[in-house]
Amino acid sequence: MATPLLERSVESDAIVRRRRRTSREVWWWATAFLAPAVIALLALRILPTLSAIGDAIPFGTGRSLLSNFTYIWTDPAFLGSLRVTLLFSLIVNPLQIALALVLAVLLTKKVPGIGLWRTLILLPIAVPQAVSAIIWLVLLRPDGPLNAIANAVGLPSVPWLVSPNFALASIVIVCSWIGVGYWMTFLVTGIRDIPTSLYEASSIDGANAWQQFWSITLPGLRRPLLFVLVADTVSNLLVFAPVRLLTQGGPQGSTNLIMHDIFERAYTLGDTQAASAGTIVLVAIVIVVVGIQFRLLPGKD
Amino acid sequence: MSETSTLRRERRSGRRTLVLVLPIAFVSIAPLLWALISSLRPGDEIFAHLSPLTWRTFVPESMSLDNYLAVLSGPFALALVNSVIVAFFSVTIGLFVAAMAGFALATLNFPGRGVVFALMVVSFLVPFEAIAIPLSASFRDWGLANTYAGLILPAVGNGLSIFLLRQFFLGIPLSLSEAARLDGLSWFGVFWRIYLPLSKAPLVGAGLILFVFQWQSFLWPLLIAPAPSVRVAPVAIADFAQEQGVDYGQMFAGAILAAAIPLILLLLFQRQFTNSLASSGSKE
Repeated sequence: MATPLLERSVESDAIVRRRRRTSREVWWWATAFLAPAVIALLALRILPTLSAIGDAIPFGTGRSLLSNFTYIWTDPAFLGSLRVTLLFSLIVNPLQIALALVLAVLLTKKVPGIGLWRTLILLPIAVPQAVSAIIWLVLLRPDGPLNAIANAVGLPSVPWLVSPNFALASIVIVCSWIGVGYWMTFLVTGIRDIPTSLYEASSIDGANAWQQFWSITLPGLRRPLLFVLVADTVSNLLVFAPVRLLTQGGPQGSTNLIMHDIFERAYTLGDTQAASAGTIVLVAIVIVVVGIQFRLLPGKD
Repeated sequence: MSETSTLRRERRSGRRTLVLVLPIAFVSIAPLLWALISSLRPGDEIFAHLSPLTWRTFVPESMSLDNYLAVLSGPFALALVNSVIVAFFSVTIGLFVAAMAGFALATLNFPGRGVVFALMVVSFLVPFEAIAIPLSASFRDWGLANTYAGLILPAVGNGLSIFLLRQFFLGIPLSLSEAARLDGLSWFGVFWRIYLPLSKAPLVGAGLILFVFQWQSFLWPLLIAPAPSVRVAPVAIADFAQEQGVDYGQMFAGAILAAAIPLILLLLFQRQFTNSLASSGSKE
């Protein structure tokens, strides 16, 4: 009677020991597999964020901890850049998403040569932003081709990059030329995921294309649309190359988006503390935008 | 009969849609076409035929590759080579690191997995560009200014590629790795011999993300690698435009060269790129 029990307990001890060994082994492997990525994420995201906080908040200097923040909050240049960024976001995001949505709907219809058109519309995203900006720098010159075309159809020349009234519009055009095809791609895939049977059933019921768009396409696209909304907003908060190359923030600060303002503070003015305070404000805005995404996203399907 | 009429109606509406799509496709491609045409004509001819518009505006009097030869014999050639070097090592090292991390997160059950996940979420929340300026100060302290390593390292911490590969690895049945483990394969063997060969499509997708990230990169190289010996193509192009008396023909030739490599890759891998981006976005 006692022997089998003893045997069993010896056996289970062995299992426990083996399990413990496996778990230690798994631990070792997990560390080996994850270490490079974890170190990289810590060094490349967490550490610089902390160092920006450290730069912006002057611990142990006797100055008020928030002095850098109060400084940028009363600096007309920084407030101007926040205002320009807000205005830019309010124009560029709805515009890009509406265009991407229209294009996605058009390009999921049975159009002859569809693959070719989709590829052509996607091409600008493959071009480095700095290169796109350089091409548009020439297109938008006072004596450039865009004004030549305008004149040819009897319109006056537009002072695209040189007038404060048009400079931000120029940045909007360039960013949209770069981005719309990219955001379209997500929506094309989203539309393809909507069951065609829904469209077939509604055509039998006599629904027209407009009704189908409102009652099938739009609700079916809720998730990809929300994703595009937030990803687009975040990427437009970070626009730098077009501003740097086309307008350098001018004329009269009319295109001084927040990334460019921070860059100028750090490199032209050499004010790293104010630049770090600006960085933290930017990161906070991004986190709020992404946080709203998680709130808006419907629960897991 | 009703089927053929539906088909006919679809075809007719397709042609009507084409009327809307063509101008948009034209607007999207026209700036690139103009850059291409301009790169084939002498620099002083680019603005000569703009006003009034004639067919000469769009067709060069004589086409030549002189601008390309000139730009490739100058410092731009080195910038292009630098971009290729940086992109190549970013993709290979970045993919390896991301795949290992994705594998561990998908297959290994270990305490602390939640902490690693939290770290990834935070790294999603803070975009790289937003902290590029404070990060460049640390990189300079670490002696990484004006080095290839300084340019390549940011691609190693790409949370999106880790996430993408993890999602795919989760779909591979665990019984496969369990069987391989019983046969005596190490965890690295499972990763290298089973998971990677099964994951060509997501690897291409994640690789393209890393490639585009590096090939596009402008702010970071501007901050960390301004020296001519490590200058990358986008920065070189921007410098070109800010020169006095810039030769626009050569500038466009450089622009076309810097755009051509990603364009070719995109055309080759468009399907994987689209699919990998799309599924990472909508199913997140």
